[in-house]
Amino acid sequence: MVLQAIERVNRGLGRVAAYCAIVMMLAQVFSVVARYVFSFGIISVQETVIYGHALIFLLGAALVLQENGHVRVDVFYEGLSERTRRFVDLAALLFFVLPVACVVLWYSWPYVARSWSTLEGSRQSGGLPAVFLLKSAILVFAVSLILQVIATTARITKGESWEQER
Amino acid sequence: MSVEALLVALLFIAAFGTVLGGVPVAFALGGAAVWLAAGASFFGLFDLSTFSAVPSRLFGTAMFNEVLTAVPLFIMMGVIMERSRVAEDLLTNMARVARRIPGGLGISVTLVGALLAASTGIVGATVVAMGLLSLPTMLKHGYRPSLAAGSICASGTLGQIIPPSIVLVFLGDQLSGAYLEAQREVGNFSPDPVSVGDLFAGAMLPGIGLACLYMFYQFIIGILRPQDCPPIEDEPGDVITTSEIILALIPPIVLIVAVLGAILAGVATPTEAAGVGATGALLLAGLRLSKEQDAKALNRLIGASVMAAFSLPVLRSVADLRMTLEVVTQWNMICFAIALFASLMLTIGIGAAFLAILRAGSLDQIVMSTMRVSTLAFAILIGATIFSLIFKSFGGDDVVTGVMEQIPGGELGALIAVSLLIFVLGFFLDFIEIVFIIMPIVAPVILQSDINPIWFGVLIAMNLQTSFLTPPFGFALFYLRGVAPPEVKTSDIYRGVLPFIGIQIAAFILVFCFPVLATWLPSVIYR
Repeated sequence: MVLQAIERVNRGLGRVAAYCAIVMMLAQVFSVVARYVFSFGIISVQETVIYGHALIFLLGAALVLQENGHVRVDVFYEGLSERTRRFVDLAALLFFVLPVACVVLWYSWPYVARSWSTLEGSRQSGGLPAVFLLKSAILVFAVSLILQVIATTARITKGESWEQER
Repeated sequence: MSVEALLVALLFIAAFGTVLGGVPVAFALGGAAVWLAAGASFFGLFDLSTFSAVPSRLFGTAMFNEVLTAVPLFIMMGVIMERSRVAEDLLTNMARVARRIPGGLGISVTLVGALLAASTGIVGATVVAMGLLSLPTMLKHGYRPSLAAGSICASGTLGQIIPPSIVLVFLGDQLSGAYLEAQREVGNFSPDPVSVGDLFAGAMLPGIGLACLYMFYQFIIGILRPQDCPPIEDEPGDVITTSEIILALIPPIVLIVAVLGAILAGVATPTEAAGVGATGALLLAGLRLSKEQDAKALNRLIGASVMAAFSLPVLRSVADLRMTLEVVTQWNMICFAIALFASLMLTIGIGAAFLAILRAGSLDQIVMSTMRVSTLAFAILIGATIFSLIFKSFGGDDVVTGVMEQIPGGELGALIAVSLLIFVLGFFLDFIEIVFIIMPIVAPVILQSDINPIWFGVLIAMNLQTSFLTPPFGFALFYLRGVAPPEVKTSDIYRGVLPFIGIQIAAFILVFCFPVLATWLPSVIYR
C-alpha cells in the first residue's frame, strides 16, 4: 500500500516534470518574440525558462529511477546471472543512490532553510520572487529519491523485476 | 606516494569500478565520492563540512545555469521530430531524391544523421533510431550488410560533433568554466571568454568536413562497387513528383539551418535558438499530423502561423517596433499592428499544433521522453558535481598537474596523453559522462598553456566520436547490434565501420596538425 502510494506520487512528480518542458518552451519562445520583435525583455519570463529547466530533472529523477532508466554501463552487467544482477541492483540502490540522496538532503536542509528565512527572491529586479521555492525542489529531489529507493528495494526483495524503461 | 595521491587514486578506482560493475553512472560517481569522503574523515583526513558546498554547486552548475537550459529544449526539438515522424519522412524523401546517385541511400543516411544533430546527445538514441529506420530499407534494396551497418553507425554518431548537438552545449559550458579557471591560475585575469557559440562555430567546419568525407566515400564505393549499394529502382505506383519531395524536405531543413544560423550569426543565444527550434518542430509536427488526421482547419491555422512567424523578422527589419518610441509614425503604427496580429496568429498556430499532437495521442510520449533524456543527463551532472567537489578537496588538481608534468613532450605530450585516455574511456562511458568527469579534471591544467580551448574541445569531440565507433567496445556498435536483424553478423558491423574509422583518424590528424580548421570560423564570426 505505502509502496504503491510512493510510486504513484513519484509518477505524478515525473509527469509534472515532463510538462515543465512545455512551459519552458512556451516561455522561451514568448521571450524571443518579445525581445527580438518588440525589443523588450521580461526577466520573470526568462527566469520561468530556468525554473522549468531545473524542475524537469529535479522532479523527474525519482520516476526515472523507478523505471530503471538511469544510464548504466552494462558491459559486464549484461553477462551476470539473474541472482548476481539482483545483488548489484540492491547494492546500487542501498549503497549508492541512498547515501547520495541522504547527503544531498542533509546538507541542503540548512541551505534551503536559509533561503526560506529571507523568502529569497531573484537577484535581478523584476525576476521571479520564488528562489526559495526553487531551492526547495532540491529537497523534493532528495526525498523522492529516498522514497523510491525504499519502494524499489522492496520490489526487488519480493522477487519482482525492476521496471525497465517504458 | 602521498596521502593525497592515494585518496585520489582510490576515488578513481572506486568510481570506475562501480560504474563498470553496473551501478547507474550518476550514483556511482556521487556514491564513490561520499564513501571515500566518509572514510577519509574517519582517519581525520577530510572535513565533512565540505559537503555543505553541494547544494550551492548544484544550484549554480545544474539548476540556475542559463546556458544549459538549451539542453532540454534541444532534446524536445529532437524528440518531436522523431515522434511525429518528421525525421522518418526526411530520411525517406532524401533517399528518393538521392536514389539515382551512386551510393545514394547511404549518402542520405549520412545527411539525415548530420541534420538531426540536435537530438544526438546520447549515442544510443540516434544509432537505434537510424538503425530501425534505414537498416531494413538498405538491406531490402540489396546493400551489402557491412556497408549498411558501417554507414549507420558512423552517421548515427556524426551528429554529436555537428552543432547544435547537446553534447557540444555541455562541452562548451564546461570548457568556458575551465578556461577561465586555468587562465586565472597563470595570472591572466581577463582572457577572452569561450562560449557555447564559439564551440559551435569551431565544430562546424570539422563536422561538415567529416560528413562530406563520409558521403564522398559512399559515392566512390557506389561507383567502384555498385553491387554493394545498388541504386533504388522506381517502384511502380510511386508517382510522387520531385516538387512534392522538395516540399517535404525543405521545412525541416529550413528549421535546422535557421536555428544554427541564428546561433552562429551571434543573433540568438543557444537557449533562444533551442526554444525557437522546439517550437518550430512542434509546428512542423502539427502540420504533418493534422494533414494525416484530415483536419483541414487545424492544418490551415498552423500553416498560417508559420507564415506569420516568418513575417515577424521581416517586419522587425523594415520598421521600429519598440513600444517606448516617442515619435510614432503612421508606418510604424501599421507595422506594429501587423506584428501584433502575426504574434497572435503564431500563438493560435502553436495552440492548434498542440491540439493536433494531442489528438494523435503523442503529446504525453513527447514530454515524457524529453523529461527522461534530460533527467538522465542532468542526474549525471549532479553526480559528477559531487564527485569533482570531493576530488578537488582531496587535492586532486595538484595530483593531476603532477602527473601531467611527468609526461614527456611538454604541453603537446600532455594533450596526446589526454586524447588517448579519453579515447579509451570512450569504450566504457558515454559522451556526457566523459565531459562531466574528465573535463573539470584535465581541462584546467591543459588550458593553462596557450592551447586554444576551442581547438581542444573540437579534438575531444572528434576523438570521442571515433572511440564510439571502434570495435570491439564502441558504443555505437552495441546499439546497432541490438536492433540489427540476425542476418547482419557482428563481424559485418565491425568490418563495416573500419573505413569510417580510417576517415575519422585522418580527419582527427588534419585538425590536430592544422588547428586553424577549428579556430578560423569562430575568429571570423565573432571578432
